[in-house]
Amino acid sequence: MDSEQHFWKNSRKAAKNISVYTFLVLGVVISVTPFLWMILTSFMSLGEAQGIRWIPSQLHFENYTNAWKEAAFSEYFVNSVFLTIITLAGELTFSIMAAYAFARIKFPGREVIFGLLLSTIMIPAMVNIIPNFLTVTWLGRIGPIKWINNWPALTIPFMGSIFSIFLLRQFFAQIPDELFDAARIDGAGHLRFLVKVVLPLSKAPVMVIIVLSFIGSWNALAWPMLVTNSPDWRPIAVGLYNFVEEAGQSLHLMMAGAFITIIPILVLYFFTQKQFTESIARSGLKG
Amino acid sequence: MKTAFLSGRRLREWREYLTAYLMIAPATILILMFGIFPVGFALFVSLHKWRLKRGDFLGMDNYVRALENFAYILFFGLAVGLLVWGVMALRRMWVESQEFGDQPWWLALPALLFSATLLSMVNWLFRVLPEMLDIADKIIGLEKTRELFLQLLDEAFHAEIAFAAWRILVSLAVISLLVFAGLLFSQQLSKPRFGNYTFQFLGVELVLFSGAWLLWVTYLAVQAAYVLAMESGVDPGIWPQVITIGSGVILLLLGWRVWQRGLTRSNNWAFLGHVLAAMTMLVGAWLLIGELPTLLAAGDKDIWVGLKVTLFYSLGTVPFQLTFSLFLAILLFQKLRGSEIFRMLYFLPYVTPTVASAAIFRQLFSNRYQAPINQLLITLGMEPQQWLREPRGIFVILAQAAHLSWPDWAAGPSMALLAIMIYSVWTYIGYDTVIYLAGLGNISTELIEAAEIDGAGQWEVFRHITLPLLSPTTYFLSLLAIIGTFKAFNHIWVMRQGSALGTTDTFSVVIFAEFFEKLRYGYASALAFVLFAVILSLTYINNKIQGSRVFYG
Repeated sequence: MDSEQHFWKNSRKAAKNISVYTFLVLGVVISVTPFLWMILTSFMSLGEAQGIRWIPSQLHFENYTNAWKEAAFSEYFVNSVFLTIITLAGELTFSIMAAYAFARIKFPGREVIFGLLLSTIMIPAMVNIIPNFLTVTWLGRIGPIKWINNWPALTIPFMGSIFSIFLLRQFFAQIPDELFDAARIDGAGHLRFLVKVVLPLSKAPVMVIIVLSFIGSWNALAWPMLVTNSPDWRPIAVGLYNFVEEAGQSLHLMMAGAFITIIPILVLYFFTQKQFTESIARSGLKG
Repeated sequence: MKTAFLSGRRLREWREYLTAYLMIAPATILILMFGIFPVGFALFVSLHKWRLKRGDFLGMDNYVRALENFAYILFFGLAVGLLVWGVMALRRMWVESQEFGDQPWWLALPALLFSATLLSMVNWLFRVLPEMLDIADKIIGLEKTRELFLQLLDEAFHAEIAFAAWRILVSLAVISLLVFAGLLFSQQLSKPRFGNYTFQFLGVELVLFSGAWLLWVTYLAVQAAYVLAMESGVDPGIWPQVITIGSGVILLLLGWRVWQRGLTRSNNWAFLGHVLAAMTMLVGAWLLIGELPTLLAAGDKDIWVGLKVTLFYSLGTVPFQLTFSLFLAILLFQKLRGSEIFRMLYFLPYVTPTVASAAIFRQLFSNRYQAPINQLLITLGMEPQQWLREPRGIFVILAQAAHLSWPDWAAGPSMALLAIMIYSVWTYIGYDTVIYLAGLGNISTELIEAAEIDGAGQWEVFRHITLPLLSPTTYFLSLLAIIGTFKAFNHIWVMRQGSALGTTDTFSVVIFAEFFEKLRYGYASALAFVLFAVILSLTYINNKIQGSRVFYG
């Protein structure tokens, strides 16, 4: 009797689990199938890619070398990596300094300035994009270095990020005052305290900023499209977009290009999975 | 405590301030330059005919071209709103000063001086900006040297109107500084709350002045429009529209307030009276606003198509993505084996660079009959579709398949937009699921266990405990998603095709196309401000309505 009840309870639980798994697997099929199709198509010949088959009869690895060399994806890739590194270096330095001052030094106008900077979060990108384009063109014409079609236009406007400052400020404000007092007694000024004590403690928020700004620069389309008109400094998203618009029929190369674009983000995602998910969840970026 | 003017303590303090200002300088300058200054610059651009290069000053014409007479109503509304807000702030200040027994009213005078200085700075910036912009044109073809640039800069600075504005600014600034120093040394600002009062006065006066100025400028613009229209012998009818629609909106707001008040009345008769009054006001408001749709329809077609597309897009994505993701989150929350892996895979579409995933979907939803989605339709025994190249509405296509006739006005979103909506839901489900999972984790298990002991079934627990406790999460996600639809750009830009005839263009895409393809910088900037206004008012309304209904346990 007892074991019979146990059996029913167990089997009901098993039935429930099976139905839950069914839905979960269905969800996975829907979210993963497009990627699967992309990978499979990227290994096909041109004829096969345009047909209805899903499984390539032969793996055409040369699609990747073609996309990499002829469609200039190597160039775009290197550009994107460079641009991301430059942006990140500037953004991190400037944001850490500003966040530290906002969090730990009392100075007149602190709240007002911070509030003013924070209010920019509300402004839609479309309001800023036209005047910024004009500003950048102007700066390039009058100044010693080109801005359009060069790294400055693609990196400098993104180095001042109120989101990063906000995130870091929240974190810095939680560091106990005793630490600072101790450092002060040892004769350390703000800069030393920041470098020796605060930074080693703030690996987590810094990691969040690195991940977010990496995704940001890998995703950006409108602005880079506007300020680049040759492949010299074109980042990979714009490269892929142009390829999609121009390549027309060469589906297999297009999918190889798409996969090349995705790989770095995938690698970052799988290695820093938890951090990655949390940082995106916290920011709600991507427009 | 009094300290000597240059004591060591003071010096240390100043060094501290200097350190702080130096530390925030780079980021602040960059954000000012690429985040705040552009808003003013965009306003400047939007007031001009500006196709690649700056043309004539047009005033509000770009806005009028976009919205027709509705633009005037909007500007009047904004002006009145600013004035009302300023007066209300003054009243709040009055109440506060009464409470503390302060006499801060004379501070309005120095604050007036400060606000005049700020406004003259804006004035100077507007005068000097075009001169500065011209430097870039003058320098073309010449050898770029430091001396030449400095000389041109000097010329721009000393240009007639700009320099006059500069002189006004400098004299006002000097007087302001003197007055400020006087206030500091007479220790007026160190009285409790007095610094704050000055600041509030400054804000109120700025707002009041901008409101009055906007009212006046709009009045002039309307008069000019009348003169122009009378010449060609038509009555533009702006004043009657302004008055009816303006009073309609005021009635609407009043009705809403009375309604809110009535809800809190415990007395039945008072409640009934309030509700009746509110109803009458709302009906009256409705009658007065009735003209609005025809008025709006007179504006630029592209905008209304853009708004309609945005509306379809949010109706067709937000509810679905929220429902699916809530469902998935609840399944994942059972903590079955492998739920980590599931979560990771669901998140994949959101993580993928948009251009890449949109490129994949562009091929999946291609109009070729060999394309995967069309193949799926064929296997299911249906006709292959044009998808991203199809401008016709989905209901029209469905009706045609069933051999029915269907009215054009009910065509619904185009087939092309449907494909984009499917992409959008596919992308955002993972994100929403992760946020919902976090929300579910915050619900205390005690409540659920208590309900289960009381004999509540699974559905009842979900309906009466989980769902209400999740409402802040739902609120956050829906606000984010709705604002997101107005900002949606990347994926639509990648998937949009000429033959869809603009039926996929949401508001942001319309703006970018005006700017990037048609090179109308001035007009696109005006549209961008319309978008800004829409997003701000949506956020405000959403906060007002939904904020009161969200349950924060």
